[in-house]
Amino acid sequence: MIDIDQYAYNNNFSSFHPLEKSFFALFTILITLTANSFMTSIIVISVISLMLITAAGIPFKFYLKLLFIPLSFLIIASITAVVSFSRELNNYFFYFELGGWFFGLESKSLNTAVLLFLKSFASICCLYFLTLTTPVLEIISVLRKFKLPEIVIELMMLIYRFIFVLLDTADLIRTSQLSRLGYSSIKKSFFSIAKLISNLFIRAYYRAQGLLTALVARGYDGKIRVLERKYSFSYKNIMIIILFETFLIIISIFGGGNFV
Amino acid sequence: MVILSKKVLEAENVVFNYPDGTNALDGLSLSIEKGKKIAILGANGAGKSTLFLHFNGILKPKKGNIKFRGKKVSYKKKELKNLRKNIGIVFQDPDMQLFSSSVFQEISFGPLNLGLSETKTRERVDEAMQIMEITNIKDKPTHLLSYGQKKRISIADILAMKPEVIIFDEPTVWLDPKHSKEILGFINQINKKGTTVILSTHDVDLAYQWADYIYIFSDGKIIGEGNSEKIFRDNKLLKESDLIKPWIIEVYEKLIQNGKISSTVSVPKSKSELFELI
Repeated sequence: MIDIDQYAYNNNFSSFHPLEKSFFALFTILITLTANSFMTSIIVISVISLMLITAAGIPFKFYLKLLFIPLSFLIIASITAVVSFSRELNNYFFYFELGGWFFGLESKSLNTAVLLFLKSFASICCLYFLTLTTPVLEIISVLRKFKLPEIVIELMMLIYRFIFVLLDTADLIRTSQLSRLGYSSIKKSFFSIAKLISNLFIRAYYRAQGLLTALVARGYDGKIRVLERKYSFSYKNIMIIILFETFLIIISIFGGGNFV
Repeated sequence: MVILSKKVLEAENVVFNYPDGTNALDGLSLSIEKGKKIAILGANGAGKSTLFLHFNGILKPKKGNIKFRGKKVSYKKKELKNLRKNIGIVFQDPDMQLFSSSVFQEISFGPLNLGLSETKTRERVDEAMQIMEITNIKDKPTHLLSYGQKKRISIADILAMKPEVIIFDEPTVWLDPKHSKEILGFINQINKKGTTVILSTHDVDLAYQWADYIYIFSDGKIIGEGNSEKIFRDNKLLKESDLIKPWIIEVYEKLIQNGKISSTVSVPKSKSELFELI
């Protein structure tokens, strides 16, 4: 998670307007999900992966590792979608018998499963595109533009900031416990981790108090007002996005599948 | 010599105790002159930070008064706003002060609270970032920055509000010598532009060389005040307040003791002045 955060700030797309990146990711997901086309998903997977690795500069190995995380879930889900069993022999193209039951693969459900797999995988790639190129802060600023309630925005802003503060604190406590053999046996580990967590709660409370004092000192009156950094739209990017999405729609309609 | 000086901040017999019963301030009085460099020394828990929160109107004295520009603070909403606009506090731990992961957002918070327009705020933010030399890190998230960089942002936070007085709560603590010198340089630069600076510290050498006027706190009271020479040559006071002597004065007094220089020679204020004597 922390690595994703780091790449989000240090990639070749980081200066692009967050709205451009969000629209690109969301529209592509929308088209992939609505299109019943193998072709669309495969194009989305390859184009986005290529973009991330070659243009954005995300290391191939790291990206591959990220893809493996949802892959196991996807494969398990697809298998359950494709394997069916019954008392009678259906039109399985592959089957085996076990205690009077037939377990087998139907060509129709295999099609559905592969399509399901490809669609989900393509959508994951789109989401990775957004998370790897767009820092959380910018995603928050996009949500602000979409008039999400102020309280949600403020909470997201504070939570994002204090995840790291709390992680640092947890790290310090753990180091000091480790240096005093706090994790030398299973029993001690349980004890230490319990202490760490309870301590973290107390620190979080203390931090919240301190933060409030610091905010009030700067004139806080119940509303956190901040200015966003300015981004400029690039006509080139917008054109590329429009062209790509149109291309995807055309592929979805004419190439390989019916567009729902 | 009569110099009419303007008192910008005053505390008059301020008494304050925390809900848990600790007597944080025990009838404390002091006054801060405009444009000066004031150092406040004292052990942990002597009441320095508590006083700072009083100056900013966050804490209200149980007894006694806080005065701003000679006028008693009444703790009305409008007046508090004015007080917080003019008295800025740079807190000790920047991780406690910074609430946003974005440097720009962070610094824009203060000016926007003053009711400034967006254009004006952007100007203020840019200016503050320029002074603190952090323009190059403005696109980085706070959690990827070093402690020293966060410290600079926490100062820019306050600078963007252009207060009349800036209070620094132990600004050099946890900083290495190089960075603490840098931060001190920024503080001096801010002071030269006319901002009154109050700084709390445990570093006697720093206080001696830097301050125009020094207050020594102990148990919520002031047990000594004056210019740095007066404070640090007062052995009884130093003993009472558990402070050590700045090394420059120690060397100077040793030189007099050994007859190397006469006692009429004035006390050197800095390392280079001391070396000239030797």
